[in-house]
Amino acid sequence: MSKPAVVIRLDQDRQVYPPGGALAGSFRLRGVRAREVKAVETSVLWYTEGKGEEDMAVHAFWRACAESGDWAAPNRANPFQTTLPQTPLSYDGAILKVRWCVRVRALLHGGREVVGQRGFQLGSLPALEPTPP
Amino acid sequence: MPRGLRIYEKKRGHRRTGPSKLGAAGEAAFFAVLLAAGAGVLAGLLYGLVLPEWRANHEFVEHTCVVLDKRVAERENHDDRLYRPEIKIRYTVDGRSLTAWTYDVATTGNAANSYSAEREGAAAVLDRFTRGEQYRCWYDPTRPERVVLVRGYRWWVWTILALPMLFMLIGAAGLVCRLVRWHITAERRATIARRAAGRQLLQGNGRAAPDYPTVPEVSSITDSPGTKLRYRLPIGPSPGWALFGALLACVGWNGTVGVFLVKAVNGHLAGEPDWAMTCFLVPFVLAGVFLIAVLARRLLLTAGVGPTQVELSDHPLHPGSRYEVFISQSGRMPPDALELQLRCEEQATYREGTNTRTETREVYTQRLYCGNGRKGRRSIPFQARCELTMPAGAMHSFKSEHNSVTWRLVVQGRVAGWPDYRRDYPVIVCPADPTDGHE
Repeated sequence: MSKPAVVIRLDQDRQVYPPGGALAGSFRLRGVRAREVKAVETSVLWYTEGKGEEDMAVHAFWRACAESGDWAAPNRANPFQTTLPQTPLSYDGAILKVRWCVRVRALLHGGREVVGQRGFQLGSLPALEPTPP
Repeated sequence: MPRGLRIYEKKRGHRRTGPSKLGAAGEAAFFAVLLAAGAGVLAGLLYGLVLPEWRANHEFVEHTCVVLDKRVAERENHDDRLYRPEIKIRYTVDGRSLTAWTYDVATTGNAANSYSAEREGAAAVLDRFTRGEQYRCWYDPTRPERVVLVRGYRWWVWTILALPMLFMLIGAAGLVCRLVRWHITAERRATIARRAAGRQLLQGNGRAAPDYPTVPEVSSITDSPGTKLRYRLPIGPSPGWALFGALLACVGWNGTVGVFLVKAVNGHLAGEPDWAMTCFLVPFVLAGVFLIAVLARRLLLTAGVGPTQVELSDHPLHPGSRYEVFISQSGRMPPDALELQLRCEEQATYREGTNTRTETREVYTQRLYCGNGRKGRRSIPFQARCELTMPAGAMHSFKSEHNSVTWRLVVQGRVAGWPDYRRDYPVIVCPADPTDGHE
């Protein structure tokens, strides 16, 4: 069996999504048997990178539990869809960066987990040119 | 990739490179020990202090006795001498005559806390009892030789209980927190926390958050109307608070140093100089002089340069839009030069060891106005208007727990012979709205 991994696909296969627009896609688990999976969590979230401590906030969250029958099969495409917020926009600053991603975390029996994420950009800020003094 | 248990991993501040199951287990063990220790101490205190008092009040049998003798008992405790009242009584239980030295339940149990340092208090207790007189007493039905002459509760016993309960509370809270972290992923925790905070940014699976999450509220800026334009901007850090802070630091430091300085000077005047102390005080006195200079500078700025008013034609600001700005500078000393800038700063807070540091980086500056402030008479405030064009690529104002992007209008003034001054006026920038014309 191949190495466990999460494969995330975004429907429009774009890198940039407009604020307030729709984000849809699906994910599959590769190299994982159905009976190994306890739960799968899918999040659309933003997080910060840079000099400061990492901040993170989840915009949309889905949890599918095998026990409650929410979870079907790892190798089948599991869809997700949400409407993106207006902010925070993706940002690439000097000491602060704001990143958006879809993160899928499969919790397996025995405390193991398989994590995969697919980044995307919310909005498109052009480079800011400081006015010369 | 599947993640197993890692023994070592890199860490800076709260940031880890992966799941820290070993660390979480260690933290959980620490809090479990704290909980167990608190529970153990609490159980010991309940058994040793509270339970005997409760039994004396609820289970002891009321009876009568005759006082045979009385004394103040003494006990050595390191270098101190401790005292307690003891009264010898005789009473009869089931036809059996019993005698005992007693007073309260602590005395009966010969507890260390039955003694106190006040001999007069112990003697005053004895004065209430007369030899040969009959009094009420209460004896333990399971052990009749245990008898007391007074009942009740000691208030300080209950205050002692607070300490182990605090340990238990911290231990239980920490343990629950760690166990939750152990079983719940960071994303799910963030979701639960947001729901609990009632911010309603996340209203269920897949639903979008309303308005502009992470953009600070604008109401604090738009609640003050301007005289020339729509809004008068509130000043950032108030000069009055800066002056108060400098005053507190100056008085506190120099007051403390002054006590030792007076002592040193008196020694010199009396012909018995303490040179070691004098030399030791020199850097502290210099620091005090520096603080006085800082205070004087703040005082000059606050008293000499009057208030600066900045008004804006609209708020919040949107990238690519144009706005009008009105600036007014009053005061006895109009500035020689006055400059108004639009600035954007990134701020990041992080931990280094046990210290929390904040780094600020200015990422954008636009000069809006630069000119001579001495345009009118001293009695008339200096006034000017200028235009502000928000850059099209401007990041909106952003605030999260450790990071922020802030926009502000900055007024910098120069008055001949006076220290330069700077005043900040925070503004909020929202993302560009293609349906809204903000010109």
